[in-house]
Amino acid sequence: MYYGGIDVGSLTAQAVLINGKGIHAYKSMGVKPNPVQSAKAVVDMLIQEENVPWSQVKFCVSTGYGREQVQAEGLSQDNMSEISCHGMGASFLVPEARTVIDIGGQDAKVIRIGPGGELIDFVMNDKCAAGTGRFLEVQARTLGLSLDELGTVSLGAEKVLELSSRCSIFCETEVLHYLQRGHSKADIAAGVNRAMAERVAALVRRVGLEKEVTMSGGVAKNVAVRAELERMLNVRLIKYGADSQIVGALGAALMARRMGGNS
Amino acid sequence: MTTLQRQSTDLETDYVRDWKKKGGKVLGYACVATPVEIIEAAGVLPYRIKAFGHPDTELGDAYLARFNCRFCRSCLQLGLEGSYDFLDGLVETNGCDHLRGMFENWQHVKEYDFFHYLKVPHFLRDDSLEYFTEELALMRDAVAAFAGREITDDDLRAAIDTYDEVNAKLKRLYALREQVPPAVSGAEVMELVCTGSSMMGADFAAMLDEVLAEKENARVSGYKARLIIMGSATDEVDLIADIESTGALIAADALCFGSRAFWNREGEDGDPLRLLAERYLGHLFCPRMFTDYDRRIAYILDTAERAGVDGAIITYNKFCDLHGVEAVSQRMDLEKAGIPVLVLEKDYGSQADTGRIKTRVQAFLERLGK
Repeated sequence: MYYGGIDVGSLTAQAVLINGKGIHAYKSMGVKPNPVQSAKAVVDMLIQEENVPWSQVKFCVSTGYGREQVQAEGLSQDNMSEISCHGMGASFLVPEARTVIDIGGQDAKVIRIGPGGELIDFVMNDKCAAGTGRFLEVQARTLGLSLDELGTVSLGAEKVLELSSRCSIFCETEVLHYLQRGHSKADIAAGVNRAMAERVAALVRRVGLEKEVTMSGGVAKNVAVRAELERMLNVRLIKYGADSQIVGALGAALMARRMGGNS
Repeated sequence: MTTLQRQSTDLETDYVRDWKKKGGKVLGYACVATPVEIIEAAGVLPYRIKAFGHPDTELGDAYLARFNCRFCRSCLQLGLEGSYDFLDGLVETNGCDHLRGMFENWQHVKEYDFFHYLKVPHFLRDDSLEYFTEELALMRDAVAAFAGREITDDDLRAAIDTYDEVNAKLKRLYALREQVPPAVSGAEVMELVCTGSSMMGADFAAMLDEVLAEKENARVSGYKARLIIMGSATDEVDLIADIESTGALIAADALCFGSRAFWNREGEDGDPLRLLAERYLGHLFCPRMFTDYDRRIAYILDTAERAGVDGAIITYNKFCDLHGVEAVSQRMDLEKAGIPVLVLEKDYGSQADTGRIKTRVQAFLERLGK
């Protein structure tokens, strides 16, 4: 018997299946224009590639910004906020975790959790894209780098250039300015990653840091942002033994297992 | 269809259209410190400025700045684009600088024949009450000249009596919402408060009778948690409905388009202007009042206790200086009293932000274990 979690975010969609032993399978893909289409596509991919009949999924919970529509379409039986799900997923992967930094495509959240992964407090960025994956995406495009390269390239920086604007769009003009003045991509990329980390560190300070600390979401894969955050917060960000992008869907599956009667 | 649902959230309601058709005058005001009794006593319709429809703000942005609160920019937009052309004049207060900027740009561009600036003290003291009484006398004279008739003390007493009736009925409505299970939702209450702010008191009182009779035996079910909401000026019925769609019930409020507009406006005095000064300045639960925080937080905590809430939402528009700052102390004091708090900073009327607001409220309910 399986329990499912579906997380449809702004950039990627994930589906996770768990059983009594732990994670059975998961899939991740870029989103389609409609959250229901994204959920169907990622679930289909999971079913076909892992050869699991969906009829064996006893209970499924959806999360992410498309969570209500996914449930309304009958793909899940309940929905939970991504904030609770990230906390629960992180706690499963790193039981000692008490603070979870989750940076996705358009949201940044800092989540404080208890010993069982229960939500204690959280803070979420407001409408502005500063401190979200979108910020990195805009600056990487301006630098002519892929998102993956943005972190690795900056490791070769000789100095970290300062980006003073909090706004993603104004930052883009600052990046262009540095490029036109002949600064290296590595130095500028290092500045971008530091600016990103500064915004997230401010969020962490708002909710209060409690060890141990983990990081989920796509930006967790950026080595330079991780390193900057570790330096600024004076902590070690514990790595997951799984893809950082599936933490929300995993939390949803764990919620499903709880709701489905098997905690 | 219930009475509530029949009420329009249009700016120019059927009621206002009928009023104008009969030759009535309409005076716009925005601040909850404006004594509507003086306007009513002159036979003029007091109309509280709202920004229903969540318009774009291009015109508002041309006169104010992006770092002014969007509620004020939206109101200005509507004023400049002609949606408020049914108004015959404006009454401005020094409620906050954003509001002042809104009114003064509006007057600058549209040049209303009647424009009155009511100066409201920032302190509650004997001398400020005296000052405010004198300000109300100036307002009475100005409105009387505008209406072309005298405003006698008897006119004022009659208007005060009318609003005593309105306020008592609104309190009854709030009691229906506070009860378990509630008879009315938070969105319905805000809709009604907004609607009433475009009506003469006696007509609003009559409508409240109808609503109270309708709602007396109604029951709202299916909610998971009872919350109190407080914060800056907003007429966003949609915001309350979105919050309630996550399973919350707004069981109580300390909002400007809510209980702060009428709660505890009581008192006895021979001079009606002095009485109005005491009622308005003495019950102005707004952070624009300096050195009055203790009374404000006591009022919020009393309201929360009476309604038996599970948590609180403090919401304010971006760049709202008054509520943005006060939110910090409010949060600390509510949490000290054992009431969990969600702080929602938002752009006024931003429908694109609905999903993010709902995520935060849903997570807050999950945090409450609901």
